[in-house]
Amino acid sequence: MVKKTGVYICTGCDIGDSLDIAALSKVATKEGKVPVCKSHAFFCGTEGSALIKSDIENEGVNTVVIAACSPRVNYDVFDFGPSIIMERTNLREQITWCHPANDEDTQMMAEDSLRMTLAKVKQVELTEPYQGENMVETILVVGGGLTGITAALEGAKAGYKTVLVEKSPVLGGWMNGLFKQAPQKSPYTTPEEVDVDRIKEVEAHPDVKVYVGAEIQEIAGAPGMFDVTINQNGTIITERIGSVILATGAVPYDPTKLDHLGYGKFDNVITGQKMEELASKGKLVRPDGKEVQSIAFIQCAGSRDSEHLPYCSATCCVESLKQATYLQEQNPEATVYIFYKDIRTPGQYERLYKQVQKDGGIFVKGDITAINEDDEKNLIIQAADVLSGAVISSESIDMVVLATGMVPTTAFGENLIVETVSCDTDKKDSEPTEAVILKSNLLNLAYRQGPEMPTLKYGFPDSHFICFPYETRRTGIYAAGSVRAPMDEISAIEDATGATMKAIQCIELSAQGSAVHPRVGDMSFPDFAMQRCTQCKRCTVECPFGSINEDEKFNPIPNHTRCRRCGICMGACPERIISFKNYSVPMIGNMIKAIEVPEEDEEKPRILIFACENDAYPALDMTGINRLSYNAWVRVIPVRCLGSLNIVWIADAMSQGIDGILLLGCKHGEDYQCHFIQGSELAEVRLGKVAETLGRLDLESDRVRMEQVNITDYDKIPAILDSFSDRLQELGPNPYKGF
Amino acid sequence: MDEILDVSLDMRDYIVSSGAETLSMCMQCGLCTNLCPWRLVHGEVSESFNIRKMQRQAQLGLDGFDEEEVLFACVTCGMCQVNCPREVNIIENVRSMRNTTAGAGFIPKILKPVVSSVRSNGNPWMGAKEKRAEWQEDLNIPAYSDATEYLLYVCCNSCYDPRGKKIAKSVVNLLQKAGVSFGVLTAEEKCCGESMRKLGDEELFVKLAESNISLFNGKGVKKIITTSPHCLETFKKEYPEFGGEYEVIHYTELLGNLLKEGKIAFPTELAKKITFHDPCYLGRHNQVFDSPRELLQAVPGVELVEMDRNKNRSLCCAGGGARVWAEVAVGERFSELRITDAVDKEAEILVTACPYCVTMLVDACAGMEKGDVLKVMELSELLNAAL
Amino acid sequence: MAHKSILVVGGGVSGITAAIEASEAGSEVYLVEQKSYLGGKVAQIYQYFPKLCPPNCGLEINFKRIKQNPKISIFTLAEVETIEGKEGDFTVTVKSNASRVNQNCTACGKCAEVCPVERSNEFNYGLDNTKAIYKAHEFAFPMKYSIDDKVCLGAECGKCVEACKYDAIELDMATKSLKLNVGAIIWATGWDAYDASKVAYYGYSQHQNVITNVIMERLAAPNGPTRGKIVRPSDGKAVESIAFVQCAGSRDENHLAYCSGVCCMASLKQATYVKEQNPDAKVYMFYIDVRAMGKHEDFYTKVQNELTLIKGKVGEITEDPITKDLTVLVENQVTGEIMKDKFDMVVLATGMVPATAGLKLPVELSYDEDGFIATDSKQPGIYGAGCVKKPMDVASSVKDATAAALKAIQSTVRR
Repeated sequence: MVKKTGVYICTGCDIGDSLDIAALSKVATKEGKVPVCKSHAFFCGTEGSALIKSDIENEGVNTVVIAACSPRVNYDVFDFGPSIIMERTNLREQITWCHPANDEDTQMMAEDSLRMTLAKVKQVELTEPYQGENMVETILVVGGGLTGITAALEGAKAGYKTVLVEKSPVLGGWMNGLFKQAPQKSPYTTPEEVDVDRIKEVEAHPDVKVYVGAEIQEIAGAPGMFDVTINQNGTIITERIGSVILATGAVPYDPTKLDHLGYGKFDNVITGQKMEELASKGKLVRPDGKEVQSIAFIQCAGSRDSEHLPYCSATCCVESLKQATYLQEQNPEATVYIFYKDIRTPGQYERLYKQVQKDGGIFVKGDITAINEDDEKNLIIQAADVLSGAVISSESIDMVVLATGMVPTTAFGENLIVETVSCDTDKKDSEPTEAVILKSNLLNLAYRQGPEMPTLKYGFPDSHFICFPYETRRTGIYAAGSVRAPMDEISAIEDATGATMKAIQCIELSAQGSAVHPRVGDMSFPDFAMQRCTQCKRCTVECPFGSINEDEKFNPIPNHTRCRRCGICMGACPERIISFKNYSVPMIGNMIKAIEVPEEDEEKPRILIFACENDAYPALDMTGINRLSYNAWVRVIPVRCLGSLNIVWIADAMSQGIDGILLLGCKHGEDYQCHFIQGSELAEVRLGKVAETLGRLDLESDRVRMEQVNITDYDKIPAILDSFSDRLQELGPNPYKGF
Repeated sequence: MDEILDVSLDMRDYIVSSGAETLSMCMQCGLCTNLCPWRLVHGEVSESFNIRKMQRQAQLGLDGFDEEEVLFACVTCGMCQVNCPREVNIIENVRSMRNTTAGAGFIPKILKPVVSSVRSNGNPWMGAKEKRAEWQEDLNIPAYSDATEYLLYVCCNSCYDPRGKKIAKSVVNLLQKAGVSFGVLTAEEKCCGESMRKLGDEELFVKLAESNISLFNGKGVKKIITTSPHCLETFKKEYPEFGGEYEVIHYTELLGNLLKEGKIAFPTELAKKITFHDPCYLGRHNQVFDSPRELLQAVPGVELVEMDRNKNRSLCCAGGGARVWAEVAVGERFSELRITDAVDKEAEILVTACPYCVTMLVDACAGMEKGDVLKVMELSELLNAAL
Repeated sequence: MAHKSILVVGGGVSGITAAIEASEAGSEVYLVEQKSYLGGKVAQIYQYFPKLCPPNCGLEINFKRIKQNPKISIFTLAEVETIEGKEGDFTVTVKSNASRVNQNCTACGKCAEVCPVERSNEFNYGLDNTKAIYKAHEFAFPMKYSIDDKVCLGAECGKCVEACKYDAIELDMATKSLKLNVGAIIWATGWDAYDASKVAYYGYSQHQNVITNVIMERLAAPNGPTRGKIVRPSDGKAVESIAFVQCAGSRDENHLAYCSGVCCMASLKQATYVKEQNPDAKVYMFYIDVRAMGKHEDFYTKVQNELTLIKGKVGEITEDPITKDLTVLVENQVTGEIMKDKFDMVVLATGMVPATAGLKLPVELSYDEDGFIATDSKQPGIYGAGCVKKPMDVASSVKDATAAALKAIQSTVRR
């Protein structure tokens, strides 16, 4: 498209009073040779925006540059539709609100930022959404327990076909083994019948295709276009799938590891699972035929124990309390002991706890010191009862139930060392920073980065984000239920429904060619100029979402519907063959070149900031909104993610005399904040490699610095900039100035 | 934690069967122990008595709660009970635990004469049976009959204790001034049994209750006025289970109503700074807070000041739960704190409405030699002065 | 597929999530919020547990999602008045209260500079003031000013009107009422903190240095009334010793019979706020049970050496009338020793009360005994999301809101 650019400089909100607008306009008209350049005191007002619209309609302006406030505001007023290229120059928050008015440096800053935007729009092209081939709207649900059944059903109810694959011969999972389920409605005091209707409902639903006795042999392809091979007792079936829900659940912790609690040693020490089985048979009797009159539950059997499961399994307290009512129901005179660390009955489950107290339950807080068996195979438990300050010895108990914790099905199988990058010096580069993939034979993804979902701690393929519990590392594949985190039935149902929502979203967005969370609406995608590819594998290794496969010759094979548009591959590529229509290495390169670097004797050093769009850039805005002033030598380039930073930009900047480069990115490490997982960490890794680049140019490596800032750190920004410029003062000017 | 104690469900069940029905509801949060007035004083009892732990031992039937200074420490003030997060009837639990030993006759030495006096004389104050009605002399109170609306039941303390008698007389005078139709019974009346039950002698309590009930019912008693909040509590909440159904009212509440109806007034000015001590059994236990205050404010010149701990958070005088007879060392008495509370507010008169409170507070005030700045009065005494 | 529209009531994290998730799957969504900004309670929080990350980070991403999404229409300062009709076809009247500031507002702030009137700032629980014309908080979205008509002097003052170059202020702006036709409704009006003064023995609102956990968030927040310095309300002294008192209302038949689910983690988190500012601070937490569910156990384990955990529900909290120091009386149930420790400040872990305990929906719906929307809420097409259903932490609320979005979509496609 032939661009006709219009530059619109707003003079409102102090901009007009603090900048030489005429001079600024010259930057557009003289230097930039833009045909249309107008200024107005209130572009976001009706009159102002009408003026722009009329230029679009009457003057054929198709590329609009708004030099006014931050792109974070008035996004709606300045939206001229998909056929118009629109860029913003942030004169208000990042220049006039945090720098002295009518000051030479402030003016230079404004002019540079307009130059940079003009350089950018020269390169920006309208995006054309990616269209996959024969995309489908079907959802695959792996695992036919409560979560899987719910997911399949909820998807179907929303009008989407679903395929439900369960490895055992029947649907229902743990539901089948339950006598009753924990109360799910007010007053939360009595267990409910297991919701088997749900199973019937899913089996009867016309839009749900159920495969039992079946396993996933392979999942190839990408969202909207997954090709799934299912092995049902030897017969191979293939399904075309839009998105996937992993609902394979959890299994009880192996009780044979709990001999210190008498399991395997004494006949009448059983697990909660066994307890359900006995209760289902009717009267609670022991293997030796004795009717159970007294029972003890031992909580945290395996859980909250560094030797076993360090985490809390979240449901055991409620489950044991539920089971306590089984015995009470049969025999109100029966004795129930519960040995616990903390009773964890959140929310309304406090009422179930209260019910068991009312029934006369005996609660003992403290560690078990001994379990002994008498000659009638009854058990005597000794425990340190914190509350009476004594070691107590129980009367003889007919049966002891261990409340064993839950282990996600993703926590089994050989640990596959995925090749990723780490800046953690005491780790080898080949060692994953935090993503672990175990060959748990659940999804068998035909992905270069490994066959299963990467897991966080303890093997849970959970989201790392509190605000975004479905922010998955495998686009279009969403974990739900107890495989994702320990959870009770109500939560599992909610989780299944939520994951299904995301699965549907992914299908809809992929069909439009849009990215999914967090860049929904981004229609761009990476384009690989393959003829220049050297098969170095950096892109496939560094893509946090496993979206790039490799052929046998190690050529990258992008899967655009798996792509999250972070640009990390673009930053990784040493040959710079990867670019987006609206975001590329040369584009940023030209923005850098657009910065006017004053001669050394002018003593006006320049600092280039690459700022993460999500946190650092808003933080810079906040600095302005709070009218905190900062160093006027800085020039800011927002990046999708610091991970998209290509080393060449550093060289570009240095070779044109910019004195220092500051990377502002998200926190990394265990509690990383980067929504592209390793982006900011990767940037730091690459910085490590910058040293030699700078070395070749005879430049000190600390002309480039990286800082971790979050959105609320705006108040620290002036100090961060000052300390960096102080260091640059010590180093003296960049010798390449004026070359 | 070296000693190993055996859980005894028999013991637990025995305690529960004696009335501790909510024992298992206790989740051992410990609020009871932390709100307990014993926390406010020092000394042996304060150190050994922990109501939370005591209930814990009951839950498991463990040894340890039966030591005298633990088992008989609770003053049954109800501070813990009204605030208990699990609505545990803590006083019932204490009573039931005391019953495990008191039932078998094991009670603190100090209480033995008290109990035997109740057994023989029908009152805990060593007073002769026949002298019970002595205080009534030349008050021309009619004997209770169908012609009288209320039975005025006077606390044993007011029947025998010199100060108590004055209180009884002033109550009578007020009721007569207000034109209340009431009568009294005489020697055949027995102690209401409140304290006997609280100290765990259930058998004795039942005897007393049954004897009084047959007496009351025989006379056709429907409505009872009590001078003591303790009698109020017993008649109102405990007699029904033995067949004694009466409309029971404390005299302060009755006078409060009459004041509103304009049936009584207090014209005589009394320019004094006065504070009111809520008796546990009138306040926390029966939620009567306003009547006494309204009556006081009806007296011209009276400036009513509140102590920081008032109404539901009022501090016990330590006379409840049969502790009125307990020997407590100076410096370890709640009543002393209460005197200080009143003095801190620069009150000239500390008014209350319970014979036990009067006894405890008068002792404390004298013991602390505060008599010159603070006077302890029963509400009826003060109101009389204002007639 | 063509969706009919969905109404989301409540612009907190649950409402925002439900609205965005539904719209990103193609639904038209109306989002109605009572306040002038979106974000609700989380906008007032300093850091989330267990990551100790700022809520504004996630909010920024969500606001970005809203900005690029024309399918979401936002009504702030608005309330739902009536709901008629049935699943698939509800007619809802929404009253939008006059902000007295129109869309022209550029948030330049000139108006506040000239405004002569101050008002107590509810965003900071009254710990500081704003002008009568104010921006709710610095991250406020939409970023517009609004006028507190309770204190504004109106036309006879009019200073702000003169100061505004953009004709953004309409002192005579009237409340509008509009009708919306939607297929489903998601109710996500969230929660309120339990009134701690009802727990009389803890002395909240009597003792200046007894605060609540929600206030603590503002004290610790860099954009809070103290610029993030944790100091005593009584004298501004930096806090050297602090006590966190758990279950101040929760798990209590006299107050809230249920467990509020999040307070244990919140207090453990707030302990790290104090330690971050003063590593030598004496920090105690008094509890009945520590409820760190699932992987939150890791955080509990991690911070255990940062503070002293005492099992025991605190009794009376007393104040030294001169120094305003607080004495906490409690039995350490592990040692049996009675503690009477002095602290500079006490934080009450007050529980969550569902907004629906007070303000019910203008339509037949079933609630549980505590006012939470019942799990089997007999009203097809209307779905609760987040803390109106049960006490939840942020991640659970988001999860639940995402689920509610799907249920709502089902109601709009069901035919």
